[in-house]
Amino acid sequence: MNRIEETMERLKENGKKAVVTYITAGCPDLKETKERIRKTKEEADMIELGIPFSDPVADGPVFQDAFYNSILHGTTLKKVFHMMEEIRKEGVEIPVIFRIYYNTILHYGTEAFAGMCQTAGVDGLLVPDLPFEEQEELQTALLKDGKTILIQIVSRASQSRIAKILKDARGFVCCLSTGDEIQKDASLCEEDFSCLKEIREASAVPVFMEFETDIRKEDASIMELLDGAVFRCGE
Amino acid sequence: MPSGGMEDHSVDQKGEEKMSKKGYYGSFGGRFVAESLMNTLEELDLAFEEAKNDVGFIEEYKYYLKQYVGRETPLYYAKRFSEKHGTKIYLKREDLNHTGAHKINNVIGQILLAKRMGKKKVIAETGAGQHGVATATGAALFDMECTVFMGEEDMKRQALNVMRMELLGAKVISVRSGSNTLKDATNEAIRIWAKSAEDTFYVIGSAVGPYPYPKIVKEFQSVISREAKKQFLEEEGRMPDVVMACVGGGSNSIGMFAEFIDEKDVELIGVEAAGRGIETGEHAAAMAKGAAGVLHGMKSYLLQDENGNIKLAHSISAGLDYPGVGPEHAYLKDIERAKYVSVTDTEAMEALMELCRLEGIIPAIESAHAIAYAMKKAKTMTMEQSMIVCLSGRGDKDVHTIADYLAGKEYLN
Repeated sequence: MNRIEETMERLKENGKKAVVTYITAGCPDLKETKERIRKTKEEADMIELGIPFSDPVADGPVFQDAFYNSILHGTTLKKVFHMMEEIRKEGVEIPVIFRIYYNTILHYGTEAFAGMCQTAGVDGLLVPDLPFEEQEELQTALLKDGKTILIQIVSRASQSRIAKILKDARGFVCCLSTGDEIQKDASLCEEDFSCLKEIREASAVPVFMEFETDIRKEDASIMELLDGAVFRCGE
Repeated sequence: MPSGGMEDHSVDQKGEEKMSKKGYYGSFGGRFVAESLMNTLEELDLAFEEAKNDVGFIEEYKYYLKQYVGRETPLYYAKRFSEKHGTKIYLKREDLNHTGAHKINNVIGQILLAKRMGKKKVIAETGAGQHGVATATGAALFDMECTVFMGEEDMKRQALNVMRMELLGAKVISVRSGSNTLKDATNEAIRIWAKSAEDTFYVIGSAVGPYPYPKIVKEFQSVISREAKKQFLEEEGRMPDVVMACVGGGSNSIGMFAEFIDEKDVELIGVEAAGRGIETGEHAAAMAKGAAGVLHGMKSYLLQDENGNIKLAHSISAGLDYPGVGPEHAYLKDIERAKYVSVTDTEAMEALMELCRLEGIIPAIESAHAIAYAMKKAKTMTMEQSMIVCLSGRGDKDVHTIADYLAGKEYLN
């Protein structure tokens, strides 16, 4: 079991939902990112760490600007790995999931990347531009030790592909609402609701959804349908 | 479209067989998109395969190419240009198409496909504005709502094309993110498409993007080489020695190569933009200096920095100013079926001037890159040998850039 799976077990035993906080790495700098990771354990169960890329097509302009600024400040994957190593040495045990574009992985070298994820204590990967059919190379590299999980993504548009995607999913499955967008607030359309129920029934692993705001402050009812939520309060 | 048609699928089927995995050209291609677009791509592939085999669809496509676009385009023997350079040079006159470039061949095909799929809206990305104008034209013709994404910088540089698109009823959206150019306009078009694919068709203008787009663009552009092959055979009674075209994303070149790929004795040459010179780092030669990577839904050669971020491309030609290249070109390079070379801004501009004076043809700056390399290549050839150069577009759109260049001003592109 890796840190994500352990965390989910523990939360399940306590009847709690998982809260994931999103942070863009290197925004405004990596020192601040490190500080935020240390603090996050008080307010969330896991961290989704955005690795800046020049062309983040699966994210909106707010994230693109944050990525752009972070790159201008010199953030690189190597430096983020280094920061992760340091923070794990400090004994910070909160699960960290990289939200990373595939080109960044390919450029680093898939094998080397998978090895570094293990060394630096990266527990999960969310690769928004790597659909199920293209995952073989990365999965092969990751399975060598199995400590870093490739998180699966499903959406309402997945339809008949849902079963295939969920089959060997580990950790949790991340559900997108309509289209590619992260959910702005707690108001889901009917189709999204029924799709979410369907995914929940079909999934052997916990089901999460990404939101732009902390919906717990508005309407907690949607949380009933979920095992966890990612709050990407833009930056 | 009197010559040939899409009933001949041999090239494409062979192409499919060559695929190591669905959607791949060797190790290039694929579908690197958000999960929410995967079914859309699957539907598109099915619809395209059905359409391709539907006589009614093909007839309609051919009708519009002939009556609206003005095909077939001439294969013109450039006599004075040939005599000066010592080999026979034929120009495939795509500049004579409606809207002034080869782009319309693909747009008509894709919009007919969009209609067939029941879509009501089309979106497109554009850099110089040529594909945007072609899409706006097709959308007006087929009564579709059209939105074109264009970088804020490009909108300033290409104000005339913005006006043309608006005149044709399209909405032009200014993209203000990243570098504000074609790459960012494409990012934005993909984002909007992911949200609206149910009723919206994304008309991709180059032989790039996730599968099946490179296949679709090739099919609709291969009319160029189907005609050229037949025309050349009628004229010379044999195959040309060399076939050449400029390469940005690679749509006119893949269309120009398509029918010649299986003619092993024909040398295929793609000409990339070396901008201010490959050694300066300010160029658009993804094949010469790029590394394999993933952008805009495909795995191909890309210009990247040392951390895997996409670098900005540079070329005096806005149409070649793209940091990647279509996946089939990457494959043709790797198997050494085609050769990819590059020429600088200066060489392209000199070739442009020469063609104006010797043949009375103002080529687009993009096409002038192919002309420039034809001049170099001719030095190794004889008067008994011959080549076809794809003159992908006309240079009217470039007169301001040409004027600035001649005045010694820093050009805008």
